[in-house]
Amino acid sequence: MNPAKSYAHLFSPLGGDAGDNYRAPNVLTFLRSSHVALKAAELKKSGARYAFVGVPFDEGSVGKPGSEDGPREFRLASQEYFPYWFEYGVDLHGTAVDCGDVSMPKVSPDVARERVYRAVREVLKSGLVPIVCGGDRSISIAAAKALSDHLGNKKMGYLHFGAHLDLADSWAGERNLGPCALARITELKNLKAANVAHVGARNSMNPKDHVDLAKKRGLRFHSMFELIERGVYPAVEEALDRVWTGTAGQYLSFNFNVMDASAAPGVTSAEPGGVESREMMRIADMIAKRRSISVIDVTELCPVFDVSGTAARLAVCVVMRIMAALAKERGEVIDASLRRTDLLKAARGKRK
Amino acid sequence: MKAAKTALWEFVPHQHRGPAQQKGADDHIRSPRLHNGAFRAGGLTTFMGAPYCPPDRKAIREMGAKVCFLGVPWDQGQIVRAGTSQAASGVREASTQYFPYMFEYDVDLLTFFRVVDCGDVPTVPGNNKKSHDYIDQYVTECLEGGAKVILCGGDHSLPIPGARALSRFHRQGRIGYLHVDSHLDAGPDWAGNKITNCSGPARAIELPNCSANNMAHLGSRNSLNPKDWWDFYVDNDIRVITMHEVVDRGIETCAKEIFETAWRGTDAVYFSWDTDSIDIACMPGSTSPECYGLKGREALQLARVAGMFGADVFEIVELCPYFDVSHMSIRMGVNMIYHYLGSRAKTLREMGQKP
Repeated sequence: MNPAKSYAHLFSPLGGDAGDNYRAPNVLTFLRSSHVALKAAELKKSGARYAFVGVPFDEGSVGKPGSEDGPREFRLASQEYFPYWFEYGVDLHGTAVDCGDVSMPKVSPDVARERVYRAVREVLKSGLVPIVCGGDRSISIAAAKALSDHLGNKKMGYLHFGAHLDLADSWAGERNLGPCALARITELKNLKAANVAHVGARNSMNPKDHVDLAKKRGLRFHSMFELIERGVYPAVEEALDRVWTGTAGQYLSFNFNVMDASAAPGVTSAEPGGVESREMMRIADMIAKRRSISVIDVTELCPVFDVSGTAARLAVCVVMRIMAALAKERGEVIDASLRRTDLLKAARGKRK
Repeated sequence: MKAAKTALWEFVPHQHRGPAQQKGADDHIRSPRLHNGAFRAGGLTTFMGAPYCPPDRKAIREMGAKVCFLGVPWDQGQIVRAGTSQAASGVREASTQYFPYMFEYDVDLLTFFRVVDCGDVPTVPGNNKKSHDYIDQYVTECLEGGAKVILCGGDHSLPIPGARALSRFHRQGRIGYLHVDSHLDAGPDWAGNKITNCSGPARAIELPNCSANNMAHLGSRNSLNPKDWWDFYVDNDIRVITMHEVVDRGIETCAKEIFETAWRGTDAVYFSWDTDSIDIACMPGSTSPECYGLKGREALQLARVAGMFGADVFEIVELCPYFDVSHMSIRMGVNMIYHYLGSRAKTLREMGQKP
């Protein structure tokens, strides 16, 4: 044991001042992490790997509202978990900080988008990986542009999970709404169609112009039927190949309506016929095998429609599982010989 | 001494009595003749519409009951959200929507097992220890009465007094202990408290006649599993079948393996089944539900395998009707028990045995 580091968070609470209840935090942050101001210098100083950024923004939504409560619910659900993952033997404590929410002006969507862009750029400048939690799907437009500009001339990959193609060139004349997300993102200079993949499309909230635009731009999407017919994992592996081949940075974008409605009812547009939770857990492992991710976003979580925290817990588990599996890939496993009894002995020694 | 005449276990549900009494002996397993009968009629709600029997060894033996349903409205032994004290009444209510006849096994559960509902164990708010003592006492009464127990919790601190009761009842022999759960639950203590819902297996191994060789865990996943819980299984060399492995190898194979482990050289088995082993999509009404769990069909497969092997105490915990949707969780609770009993009946019948 390294005496300079505390390992108490790996174990059941010891009691007393060391803390009794993991569900009674002082401040509501992602995985009980510290709050760090959204400034590149401070983020770098934190020594963390991920920066959680909430974006409570709902004004790019064309369907049901409610995703602005997504970040709060995500943080809340994350508190149901420990930073230790027995399946990987890793410890996520200290690997993330929480930058709070990006301040939203309300009724000025252009200002909001600009702030999201600046926030993600600032995190990228610090070298940390932004975990951007929306908010509706349109926030991916600003966040992906931030990664694109951050990479400059280097190539970018983009992976889109969702039931909808989001390929409207415009929607009622607007060009930056949720359903325009993939249309705008695939216009980024350093993102080639060959490095874009969409997984999970199904059902009829996919108007014809979306499919036409996919064809026109040469975008490959793996529909749900393709996943069922070919098997989920071979199809996803092909998608990952596209996104990670020859790219310097990868943007991972989740709308959890990629899941079957039963596995994630708490999203703005739950769709039947989607991915099962056990499949998504394996997909998380497959993503981590690629060993690098530049930005993760989670959009369209909608707590008012959730049931017993189902969608929020799933979202948290997927993001944390990617973090845990990546840590294992990097060999950051903890010393398996650590025991809670050692802590108790050390605590007793101190008291004497 | 003259052999005591066994008072016959009799099934005339209260709903059937009164001016429009249905008198047929098998009325409860057929579509209604005169009126809706026990099916969905409120009346006095018991589990499976079974007759009430006081949780008293003499009464149970006199009625000849072989399965006692015992509710435990207790949720102050746990670290997650409260609400599981309402589970037993939820299961009783959901059971009014089913017949005690199961076509899959061609058996009338009620008369085959002479099922009785022993009501709820009394509990003491704010006092986990006293409440556990009552649970221990009531389970003991059922076992001494010659019955197997369906223990419907209640939080997952239940196996602490429950397995203690079974261990004492079989003090001349050995017992096995199974824990099916999303969480490993094997903390030596939680902030100094040794009898919470995160220490079932840790207390079971301390019982004088329960060894690590006869313990197993199935269904673990996700990160509400601090390291000491995992260390418990590693250090004691206890078999853990993670959800990853269940998905890879199939639930039937894995379920058989844990039951074989528990029954190897033992005289009795305590089966502790946390509802959060089931996927949150199929079991939202649980106190700490988790994604990546058993599907509904897999839960029923597990119940069926459990019935092939049997258990002296079959325990369901952490069911929480507050968070339920469309009764799917409490109905699942009923089906976990019914499929277990159905499969148990079929197995016993095929072996030419009685319960």
